Amino acid sequence: MPFGENNLTRRRFLAGIGALGASVVGSQVVTTKIALGAAPSNGNTVIVIFLRGGADGLRILSPQSASLGVNYLRTVRPALVPGDGEAIGLDGTGGWALNKAMAPLHQLLWATGEMAFVPAVSNPGVSRSHFQAQQFVEQGGSTTVSTGWLDRVLTQLGPGTTFRALADGFTLPMSMAGNEAKIAMSSLADFDFPGTGAIRTPAMTALSALYRGIGGPLGEDVPTALSAVATAAAIRAAVTVQNAAVYPTGPTAAALKDLVAILRAEVGLQVATLDVSSWDTHTTEANGLDALLSNTAQALAAFFTDLGPTRRSRVTVVVQSEFGRRVAMNASAGTDHGHGGLVWLLGGGLVGKTVHGKWTPLTSAADLDAGDVAGLNDPFNICGEVVQKRLGVGSLATVFPGLSYTPLGLARTG
Amino acid sequence: MTTIYPTIADAIEKSAKTAKAPLAWNPTDHVLSRLAFGPTPAARTEIARNGIPAWISAQIAAGHTYAGYTGDPLVAAQATRLGLSPADSFTLLKLGGNKYGWDVMTQLTQTTLGLQVWSKAQLYEVLVDFFTNHLNVVCPRGDLWVTRHTFDRDVIRAHAMGSFTDMLLASARNPAMLLYLDLAQSTKSAVNENYARELLELHTVGLVYSEADVKNVAKLLTGRTVSSRTFDYTYNPAIHGTGGVTVLGFRHPNSSTADGEVGGDALLRYLAAHPSTAKRLARKLCIRLVSDRPSHALVTAVATAYLGSGTQILPMLDTILRSEEFWASRGHKVRRPAENVIATMRILEVRPASIGAALKYLQTMTQQVGNQPLAWGPPDGYPDVATAWRSASTLLMLWLHHLGLAADSWTNAFAKSNKTTLYGGTPANSGDAIARLGVRLTGAPLPTAHAAALQTFLAESATTPMARSTLHALLPALVALILDGPSHALR
Repeated sequence: MPFGENNLTRRRFLAGIGALGASVVGSQVVTTKIALGAAPSNGNTVIVIFLRGGADGLRILSPQSASLGVNYLRTVRPALVPGDGEAIGLDGTGGWALNKAMAPLHQLLWATGEMAFVPAVSNPGVSRSHFQAQQFVEQGGSTTVSTGWLDRVLTQLGPGTTFRALADGFTLPMSMAGNEAKIAMSSLADFDFPGTGAIRTPAMTALSALYRGIGGPLGEDVPTALSAVATAAAIRAAVTVQNAAVYPTGPTAAALKDLVAILRAEVGLQVATLDVSSWDTHTTEANGLDALLSNTAQALAAFFTDLGPTRRSRVTVVVQSEFGRRVAMNASAGTDHGHGGLVWLLGGGLVGKTVHGKWTPLTSAADLDAGDVAGLNDPFNICGEVVQKRLGVGSLATVFPGLSYTPLGLARTG
Repeated sequence: MTTIYPTIADAIEKSAKTAKAPLAWNPTDHVLSRLAFGPTPAARTEIARNGIPAWISAQIAAGHTYAGYTGDPLVAAQATRLGLSPADSFTLLKLGGNKYGWDVMTQLTQTTLGLQVWSKAQLYEVLVDFFTNHLNVVCPRGDLWVTRHTFDRDVIRAHAMGSFTDMLLASARNPAMLLYLDLAQSTKSAVNENYARELLELHTVGLVYSEADVKNVAKLLTGRTVSSRTFDYTYNPAIHGTGGVTVLGFRHPNSSTADGEVGGDALLRYLAAHPSTAKRLARKLCIRLVSDRPSHALVTAVATAYLGSGTQILPMLDTILRSEEFWASRGHKVRRPAENVIATMRILEVRPASIGAALKYLQTMTQQVGNQPLAWGPPDGYPDVATAWRSASTLLMLWLHHLGLAADSWTNAFAKSNKTTLYGGTPANSGDAIARLGVRLTGAPLPTAHAAALQTFLAESATTPMARSTLHALLPALVALILDGPSHALR
């Protein structure tokens, strides 16, 4: 959003800084050594994409058969149910269909078994408040700890590289909160230490010393940032788009493009997060959601195309949101906050080409949970299975405290 | 138990003289980092002359004198559109040939930044920033192109030093808020719950409401909408849903089609004066001004002051400033990224070369660290605790801005200045220069280990005479390093 005419480039910002100090302290050595660190446990990566605002799962993956509930939906959300032939039918799923905006992803990943969905996803602890719901989901259902579930996954996995955990964006999401080192990166292109020439290394050394023993978030993040700079430069130098992938415009595509470069550099990335905002469709949902979905699907399709079939077999993407939306439409051809939502699973290691989990056919208001899709499938079972089978996380007891783990059989080990 | 003293002067004098390392106890820089966007040499001088309590009183007076956008003449002179009505804003945009242009919203963002850096009424700007985030309405957003500035002007700035009840009542009749949270679209036949929920959860009582409360609030407030002709607030009784409501102990018969306004205002007054609202506001203000984890006792005292004064804002501030906890909290907060940029501008006394270019650069700098004022999308406002701002990218970008400002890299926007004046005299040698810069930029002598690290950076001994020192070339880099360090990152 705040990208407009005023957005000056880093290049312009750097103009005039480059030459600073280059002529002095000639004896000080510039180190360019790249420390990639130890290899991760199994080379797999899980990327969690959070659709902020409560994405309307029913408009992304919709029941298109009477047995799943399309007739009832047509009565209560007429402007939001795709007409016959307006959605992509998913064979063998009993009548589920994808929003047309999902076509690029469907075309690339469905037939190869690299795509699956779980509808009616929620947990009894998730309310209809964005902020409570996001916090609850991202803290992994614990109301007594302040760390995020992905932080606890990292703890379970043991030590890794500087680049083991990466959050796209300006800050870490709540799922990453906690003491394990992580990198929040708003842009690979801008991820550099300012100042060039002879002062660069001495300045980094001095800064390191200034933060020694400081403690707290800054005391942890400054060394992480400094140690990631050289690796980021090497990754940046090697960026290419492969397999004729075509990225759309926008921040989601830009972030995914950076992620491809980081994955290809094999720097031990285990978990990554990415936020896509603006899913809070209280008004004129059909247009707004479809445009956003189209951009998101195109960006993800470009990401998987760019990675190519071999590399993406080690990358699993989980797309989730804090809740689904009210089944009935509101005054503004939109939907208010609901409950059961949709999880998408993309990439390697999946039991794909299917819709997993429970579903209650929607035939009347009696099938709903206070007007909403019920939470029949627990998000923590889904995420737990993915990190257990793909990353090799052992016990989920600390990752999702109190979860009575019941895998849906949606991922494969290895 | 936190001690609340009878006066601010007592609190300063009697509080434990502690700070969290590496910052040192320094009530002047403390108050200038909490009630202002960072110290300036001029403000330090003013406090040295008149004392802290007098400075605070003067700031409260300045908040009235320089209400609106008048806190700095250069900034005020370019805020040409912020006084306009939505309809006049639209007319002006049409005349300019781009009727859906974002000019007014951009002007608001840039004016906000200019005032945060240069306004004489710093405390007012701190409170404006606080309530801007408390009642967040994102800027820019397409559909708010001619209304967003009226929210800033008529809701936040009009009441930032007054009563929260008045602010809340104004917000519930402001077109930008009504559009942002969809109340403008809510009707009796098809209610939109978005505003109702956030009014309860974010603006007032917090997560103590039920789903039935949301539905009742939403029903009671139907009828409040935005005119498609003037883009201003209007009330339409024809779309108001009547019928009795109860909300957290509030009851209203809501029997008339006028009750969207009459009953709605009664509900808003009730919610503003609710003890849960008092506690939430008090806690948030303590988090802004004291620490990420303020004590229960302080929050309770501040909430009591709010309720006891009929929801006035300044008594909350006064209670915080009379607390031991406030004066012992130096070093407990990490500056948010935009705050860090602005504090850098202030401590270096950066002046605009061209006010237009300067404001544009400020906008870009804060945007590049993910903290452009008013730009937070969701209705909960920018987070205010350090753990929410952890980011390697932001650190690197802040360090870039420090170096750019210290090295006068952006002379089309910011006036060049002679950085040797930062020594405040003639240093005896390289070590003395580092020591002087430390005091000038951080308000206190640098810890010994920090001075040593900076000496190593200069690659010379502390006794090196200035004539032979690498500082001739490295002064900007050294200034930037001090600002990169924890003594500037913390407040």
